[in-house]
Amino acid sequence: MLSYLFNRLLGLVAVMFLVATIVFVIIRVTPGDPAAVMLGPEATQQDIAALRTRLGLDRPLPVQYVTWLGQLARGDLGQSIFLNKPVLSALADRAEPTFWLTLLSLIIATAIALPVGILSAVKRGSTLDQSVVSFSMFTSSVPSFWLGLLLMQVFAVKLGWLPVSGYGGPDASFGTRLSHLILPAVVLGLVNSALITRFIRASMLDVLRDDYVRTARAKGLPERKVILKHAVRNALIPILTVLGLTTALLISGAVVTETVFGLPGVGSLVVSAVLRRDYPVIQGALLVVAAIYVLINLFIDLLYLVVDPRVRY
Amino acid sequence: MNSLVSRRRDGLKTFLLAATLSVAALAGPAHAAPVKGGTISVATIGEPPTLDPMISTADLVGLISQHIYETLYTFDAKWNLTPLLAQALPTVSADGLTVTIPLRTDVTFHDGSKMTIDDVIASLQRWTTTASRGKQTAPLIKAIEAADDHTVRITLTQPYAPLTALLAMNNAAAVIMPKSKIAATITDYIGTGPYMVKARVPDQYLQLVRFPGYKSRGGQPDGYGGAREQYLDEIRFVPVPNANTRLESAVAGQYDYVDSIAVESAGKLKSSKSQAVLLKPFGWPRLVMNTKQGIMANQKMRQAVQMALNEEDMLAAAFGSTDYYTVDGAMYPKGYPWYTDRGTKAYNKGDTEGAKKLIAEAGIPDRTIRILTSQQYEFHYKMALVAAEYLKQAGFKVDMQVVDWATLTQRRQDPALWDIFITHSPFLPEPALIDFPSKNSPGWWDTPRRNAALDAFNRATSQEERVKLWGDVQQVIFDEVPFIKVGDFNAVAAKSPALEGVTAAPWPYFWNAWKASK
Repeated sequence: MLSYLFNRLLGLVAVMFLVATIVFVIIRVTPGDPAAVMLGPEATQQDIAALRTRLGLDRPLPVQYVTWLGQLARGDLGQSIFLNKPVLSALADRAEPTFWLTLLSLIIATAIALPVGILSAVKRGSTLDQSVVSFSMFTSSVPSFWLGLLLMQVFAVKLGWLPVSGYGGPDASFGTRLSHLILPAVVLGLVNSALITRFIRASMLDVLRDDYVRTARAKGLPERKVILKHAVRNALIPILTVLGLTTALLISGAVVTETVFGLPGVGSLVVSAVLRRDYPVIQGALLVVAAIYVLINLFIDLLYLVVDPRVRY
Repeated sequence: MNSLVSRRRDGLKTFLLAATLSVAALAGPAHAAPVKGGTISVATIGEPPTLDPMISTADLVGLISQHIYETLYTFDAKWNLTPLLAQALPTVSADGLTVTIPLRTDVTFHDGSKMTIDDVIASLQRWTTTASRGKQTAPLIKAIEAADDHTVRITLTQPYAPLTALLAMNNAAAVIMPKSKIAATITDYIGTGPYMVKARVPDQYLQLVRFPGYKSRGGQPDGYGGAREQYLDEIRFVPVPNANTRLESAVAGQYDYVDSIAVESAGKLKSSKSQAVLLKPFGWPRLVMNTKQGIMANQKMRQAVQMALNEEDMLAAAFGSTDYYTVDGAMYPKGYPWYTDRGTKAYNKGDTEGAKKLIAEAGIPDRTIRILTSQQYEFHYKMALVAAEYLKQAGFKVDMQVVDWATLTQRRQDPALWDIFITHSPFLPEPALIDFPSKNSPGWWDTPRRNAALDAFNRATSQEERVKLWGDVQQVIFDEVPFIKVGDFNAVAAKSPALEGVTAAPWPYFWNAWKASK
């Protein structure tokens, strides 16, 4: 078990190195100059060049790369060119809206997907099952920005029940901040519920075919117990996998949804950083996101030990 | 001693400038008396790259920082220079080389310290080394020194009429800050403005609160000048970069003021919780030519482009209704003291045959024009599309390069990469503030005629002479075609019906504003 953990953590380091290198190369070869963006349209070439020197952007790329790796080794993600603060601090500022958005979206997605996926599998071939399959296809196909704009029009603009955008001002209460998260959470919850529903349905169909389920029924157990105690438990592993992946996806930034609703989360930070060519933030944010992906996957793998006693590492 | 800035004669037509406030459904009763108190939220186009107005020319920076910092001078409702931190308009020696500025003695900074001559001199010196407008002016300044404890003396190497206007501008601005706070990078935003920084969370909000120690000038509000009343307790600037989200926020009435609404969507404001604010005219888009390298380095080719284009169609595509644009080739609209129609016969010709002749005369076999544009500003892109079609009809091949704004700002610094790029700016109160292409800036327009015309214009000291010489500058622009003005366009913002005292302006300001209900 310990050696399994050690190997996984080594793998994390390898992934971090790969991500750091790939991201560095891609954003450096992308055209665009953060100094020109910062100084505005009437800045002279001399001004831009002077700022590039001050920011160290005029150094050769290999030098910048080695400096970047050295900083990473010390746990320093660098300083945001645009925000003039440590990247970690910039990310920490965005953590709260992203955390609550992720949690709410996950709750909504799971609350929809779990009962609907289970019922759909149990009533396979029925009108309910066909409706669920169709609805899943629809929600997974619909662009999240379109759904967001639609919900915004109805609930924020026309009815005025919820705010259009933002996250509330400096004195906003938790309730106010929550109200800003409802629409984007519903969008993300709906869109992500489709995939989770299909996974739950497929996993349950596999399990319901197994001998022990037939045995449980033959023993005269109530159908509810057969499904919830025996079938669902054994269908959990793929469900946990997809929930883990969905969580990682949500944390890494629901870029489109955050942009539509003006939410200051990690996703919109990455988008802004790309538009501004804020290299340290792009590099740092993507590195953190990659780390979260790997750690969530590790967590899910460890959760298998709890859920399925047959699993051993 | 002569006054550098002369008030326009009474005989000059009073003109409409930037302060037309056009509000939908404005047939209401007279405004109630101002109410003290309350907080407003202002949705802006994004997060300002800095709050230091010296280092950035971005309009957004000027819009926000003008509440925090002040300059020695500013502009009144007619775009005349008026004192702000200065006590009075400057006096200029007969030879135009010495500018004397008396300072107010009742000004306090946000940290409680009094503004002294040392602060002013240190700030102006930083401006000459840090701000692009200051660096442009620096070669003409011999010294900035104290004539006495309350008077600054600027000694020039040659007469330079635009100096005071440059000292009044709110971006790349000569703001006054405490000498003790001056550094390469400002982190403590201490100014003299009516509002001061309380909190800033980038990409979420900037919270400004009333500065209790503020001393407004007396008299009535007059554009950016005159009295600056602090009715509001707090102003919050909230970045909302997505244009559609800004529009929907305005429709839903989420913010008290929403800057920069796309004109094609302005109709939605009619039945919304916000009122439209129309700024007419706002600014002018232009096609800037690369006169240094490539096909546009040839003057005949540039003249061919000018002859081929139909600016009216370009404006119609970009802005839709004539409520939002005017077809006018003059660099300043009618009503401005700088208005002249010299050279404008070359404008809006759409003459394909004439363009073909000029192309043939130019004798350049490769007729590919690279147009660099961005959908960051949708109207740039639409104008580029129409321009491309007219240029193709004239025989050019067009390579449209549509990139994001960050790429565009980088590429336009390299003369090898483009032939035409599109930009725009508000109508600036003084022509010397216009970012003309020069040998140091994209476009690289640097000819004897250009330099002679601009030099003569900048050296002139009387307003009458300067207006006449501006006509010469405009003629050179039409003859040499370093850029092509497309027309005039208007801007739309939105405000809450409860927000009063807001004047439509290129850089909206919220001193003198109040909320009818808190």
